[in-house]
Amino acid sequence: MKSWISFFLPNDEYKERKMLYFFSEGSIILFLSLIAMVICNYYFNISTETALLLSIAVFLFYVLGRYILSGIEYTDIATEKSYNRELKTIFIRTGSFVVIFMVCYLIFGNTPSSQNEWIEIIGFLLSVGLVWFIINFISLKRSYKRNKDLI
Amino acid sequence: MKNNVKITRIKASMTQEQLARKVGVTRQTIGLIEKGEYNPTLQLCIAIAKELNKTLDELYWEVEL
Repeated sequence: MKSWISFFLPNDEYKERKMLYFFSEGSIILFLSLIAMVICNYYFNISTETALLLSIAVFLFYVLGRYILSGIEYTDIATEKSYNRELKTIFIRTGSFVVIFMVCYLIFGNTPSSQNEWIEIIGFLLSVGLVWFIINFISLKRSYKRNKDLI
Repeated sequence: MKNNVKITRIKASMTQEQLARKVGVTRQTIGLIEKGEYNPTLQLCIAIAKELNKTLDELYWEVEL
Protein backbone atom coordinates (compact mmCIF):
# COMPACT_ATOMS: atom_id res chain seq x y z
CA MET A 1 0.00 0.00 0.00
CA LYS A 2 1.43 3.34 -1.02
CA SER A 3 1.21 6.28 1.35
CA TRP A 4 3.52 9.15 2.24
CA ILE A 5 3.62 7.89 5.82
CA SER A 6 5.54 4.81 4.60
CA PHE A 7 8.57 7.08 4.54
CA PHE A 8 8.50 7.25 8.36
CA LEU A 9 7.81 3.56 8.92
CA PRO A 10 10.28 0.70 9.40
CA ASN A 11 10.77 -1.96 6.70
CA ASP A 12 9.85 -4.87 8.94
CA GLU A 13 6.13 -5.53 8.52
CA TYR A 14 5.41 -6.37 12.18
CA LYS A 15 7.15 -3.21 13.36
CA GLU A 16 5.42 -1.22 10.62
CA ARG A 17 2.00 -2.43 11.71
CA LYS A 18 2.76 -1.73 15.37
CA MET A 19 3.93 1.80 14.56
CA LEU A 20 0.77 2.44 12.55
CA TYR A 21 -1.30 1.39 15.58
CA PHE A 22 0.71 3.70 17.85
CA PHE A 23 0.31 6.65 15.48
CA SER A 24 -3.43 5.99 15.11
CA GLU A 25 -3.97 5.65 18.87
CA GLY A 26 -1.88 8.77 19.43
CA SER A 27 -3.98 10.69 16.90
CA ILE A 28 -7.25 9.68 18.57
CA ILE A 29 -5.91 10.61 22.03
CA LEU A 30 -4.71 13.91 20.59
CA PHE A 31 -8.15 14.53 19.11
CA LEU A 32 -9.83 13.77 22.45
CA SER A 33 -7.37 15.97 24.35
CA LEU A 34 -8.10 18.82 21.91
CA ILE A 35 -11.83 18.44 22.58
CA ALA A 36 -11.09 18.42 26.33
CA MET A 37 -9.04 21.59 25.91
CA VAL A 38 -11.83 23.33 23.98
CA ILE A 39 -14.24 22.50 26.84
CA CYS A 40 -11.71 23.55 29.50
CA ASN A 41 -11.16 26.81 27.64
CA TYR A 42 -14.71 27.87 28.60
CA TYR A 43 -13.82 27.65 32.28
CA PHE A 44 -10.07 28.41 32.39
CA ASN A 45 -8.01 30.68 30.26
CA ILE A 46 -5.60 28.46 28.31
CA SER A 47 -3.08 30.37 26.21
CA THR A 48 -2.50 29.33 22.59
CA GLU A 49 1.11 28.44 23.32
CA THR A 50 0.13 26.16 26.23
CA ALA A 51 -2.55 24.45 24.15
CA LEU A 52 -0.19 23.85 21.24
CA LEU A 53 2.67 22.59 23.40
CA LEU A 54 0.32 20.34 25.38
CA SER A 55 -1.06 18.85 22.17
CA ILE A 56 2.42 18.10 20.84
CA ALA A 57 3.46 16.66 24.22
CA VAL A 58 0.39 14.40 24.43
CA PHE A 59 1.05 12.92 21.00
CA LEU A 60 4.80 12.55 21.41
CA PHE A 61 4.66 11.08 24.92
CA TYR A 62 1.99 8.59 23.93
CA VAL A 63 3.69 7.35 20.75
CA LEU A 64 7.15 7.30 22.35
CA GLY A 65 5.84 5.60 25.50
CA ARG A 66 4.05 2.90 23.55
CA TYR A 67 7.11 2.35 21.36
CA ILE A 68 9.45 1.98 24.33
CA LEU A 69 7.16 -0.33 26.29
CA SER A 70 6.32 -2.52 23.30
CA GLY A 71 9.87 -3.93 23.16
CA ILE A 72 10.17 -3.72 19.38
CA GLU A 73 13.25 -1.54 19.19
CA TYR A 74 16.05 -4.04 19.80
CA THR A 75 14.78 -6.93 17.70
CA ASP A 76 17.97 -9.00 17.79
CA ILE A 77 18.73 -8.87 21.52
CA ALA A 78 17.76 -12.29 22.81
CA THR A 79 20.76 -13.55 24.83
CA GLU A 80 22.31 -12.24 28.04
CA LYS A 81 25.59 -11.64 26.26
CA SER A 82 24.04 -9.47 23.53
CA TYR A 83 21.94 -7.68 26.18
CA ASN A 84 25.02 -6.74 28.21
CA ARG A 85 26.87 -5.66 25.07
CA GLU A 86 23.98 -3.45 23.97
CA LEU A 87 23.65 -1.96 27.46
CA LYS A 88 27.32 -1.02 27.33
CA THR A 89 26.79 0.54 23.87
CA ILE A 90 23.84 2.59 25.17
CA PHE A 91 25.93 3.79 28.11
CA ILE A 92 28.82 4.82 25.85
CA ARG A 93 26.46 6.47 23.33
CA THR A 94 24.74 8.50 26.06
CA GLY A 95 28.08 9.52 27.59
CA SER A 96 29.42 10.55 24.17
CA PHE A 97 26.33 12.64 23.51
CA VAL A 98 26.72 14.49 26.81
CA VAL A 99 30.44 15.14 26.22
CA ILE A 100 30.04 16.19 22.56
CA PHE A 101 27.10 18.47 23.38
CA MET A 102 29.09 20.09 26.20
CA VAL A 103 32.13 20.65 23.95
CA CYS A 104 29.95 22.10 21.14
CA TYR A 105 28.16 24.35 23.63
CA LEU A 106 31.47 25.67 24.95
CA ILE A 107 32.86 26.23 21.44
CA PHE A 108 29.81 27.64 19.61
CA GLY A 109 27.60 28.83 22.46
CA ASN A 110 28.25 31.13 25.35
CA THR A 111 30.84 30.03 27.87
CA PRO A 112 29.18 30.06 31.31
CA SER A 113 30.44 33.06 33.24
CA SER A 114 29.30 32.22 36.74
CA GLN A 115 29.15 29.13 38.93
CA ASN A 116 25.37 29.14 38.66
CA GLU A 117 25.51 29.02 34.85
CA TRP A 118 27.95 26.10 35.01
CA ILE A 119 25.65 24.22 37.37
CA GLU A 120 22.70 25.03 35.10
CA ILE A 121 24.28 23.69 31.90
CA ILE A 122 25.85 20.64 33.56
CA GLY A 123 22.61 19.88 35.38
CA PHE A 124 20.63 20.21 32.16
CA LEU A 125 22.99 17.94 30.24
CA LEU A 126 23.07 15.31 32.97
CA SER A 127 19.26 15.32 33.17
CA VAL A 128 18.89 14.93 29.40
CA GLY A 129 21.55 12.19 29.39
CA LEU A 130 19.86 10.38 32.27
CA VAL A 131 16.41 10.53 30.65
CA TRP A 132 17.84 9.33 27.35
CA PHE A 133 19.66 6.47 29.08
CA ILE A 134 16.54 5.44 31.04
CA ILE A 135 14.41 5.47 27.86
CA ASN A 136 16.91 3.27 26.03
CA PHE A 137 17.39 1.03 29.04
CA ILE A 138 13.64 0.38 29.43
CA SER A 139 13.32 -0.25 25.69
CA LEU A 140 16.26 -2.66 25.75
CA LYS A 141 14.99 -4.49 28.83
CA ARG A 142 11.51 -4.90 27.30
CA SER A 143 12.96 -6.04 23.97
CA TYR A 144 15.25 -8.56 25.66
CA LYS A 145 12.44 -9.96 27.79
CA ARG A 146 10.24 -10.32 24.74
CA ASN A 147 12.86 -11.80 22.41
CA LYS A 148 14.03 -14.30 25.04
CA ASP A 149 10.64 -16.00 24.91
CA LEU A 150 10.62 -16.14 21.13
CA ILE A 151 13.76 -18.21 20.56
CA MET B 1 -2.33 -18.78 14.11
CA LYS B 2 -0.74 -22.20 14.66
CA ASN B 3 1.73 -23.20 11.98
CA ASN B 4 4.64 -25.45 11.04
CA VAL B 5 7.22 -22.74 10.43
CA LYS B 6 9.41 -23.53 13.43
CA ILE B 7 9.57 -27.29 12.82
CA THR B 8 10.24 -26.80 9.11
CA ARG B 9 12.93 -24.19 9.77
CA ILE B 10 14.71 -26.45 12.26
CA LYS B 11 14.51 -29.36 9.80
CA ALA B 12 16.08 -27.10 7.17
CA SER B 13 18.92 -26.34 9.66
CA MET B 14 18.22 -22.66 9.51
CA THR B 15 18.32 -20.17 12.38
CA GLN B 16 15.64 -17.56 12.97
CA GLU B 17 18.16 -14.90 12.06
CA GLN B 18 19.04 -16.54 8.73
CA LEU B 19 15.40 -16.95 7.74
CA ALA B 20 14.64 -13.40 8.84
CA ARG B 21 17.46 -11.99 6.73
CA LYS B 22 16.38 -14.00 3.69
CA VAL B 23 12.76 -12.81 3.80
CA GLY B 24 13.59 -9.25 4.83
CA VAL B 25 12.13 -9.04 8.33
CA THR B 26 13.56 -9.04 11.86
CA ARG B 27 14.28 -12.11 13.98
CA GLN B 28 11.60 -10.95 16.39
CA THR B 29 8.99 -11.12 13.62
CA ILE B 30 9.98 -14.70 12.73
CA GLY B 31 9.81 -15.62 16.42
CA LEU B 32 6.34 -14.12 16.73
CA ILE B 33 5.11 -15.95 13.62
CA GLU B 34 6.48 -19.27 14.92
CA LYS B 35 4.77 -18.75 18.24
CA GLY B 36 1.52 -17.88 16.50
CA GLU B 37 1.46 -14.40 18.01
CA TYR B 38 1.57 -12.57 14.72
CA ASN B 39 -0.29 -13.28 11.50
CA PRO B 40 1.99 -12.34 8.61
CA THR B 41 0.80 -10.84 5.34
CA LEU B 42 0.27 -13.18 2.41
CA GLN B 43 3.39 -11.72 0.82
CA LEU B 44 5.52 -12.70 3.83
CA CYS B 45 3.84 -16.13 4.09
CA ILE B 46 4.83 -16.82 0.48
CA ALA B 47 8.38 -15.55 1.03
CA ILE B 48 8.82 -17.86 4.04
CA ALA B 49 7.29 -20.82 2.20
CA LYS B 50 9.64 -20.28 -0.74
CA GLU B 51 12.69 -20.07 1.50
CA LEU B 52 11.71 -23.27 3.30
CA ASN B 53 10.74 -25.04 0.04
CA LYS B 54 7.23 -25.74 1.25
CA THR B 55 3.73 -24.88 0.09
CA LEU B 56 1.46 -22.53 2.01
CA ASP B 57 -0.72 -25.52 2.92
CA GLU B 58 2.20 -27.39 4.45
CA LEU B 59 3.23 -24.42 6.55
CA TYR B 60 0.02 -22.69 7.53
CA TRP B 61 -2.95 -24.97 7.08
CA GLU B 62 -4.65 -25.94 10.35
CA VAL B 63 -2.28 -28.23 12.18
CA GLU B 64 -2.23 -30.19 15.39
CA LEU B 65 0.74 -29.04 17.50
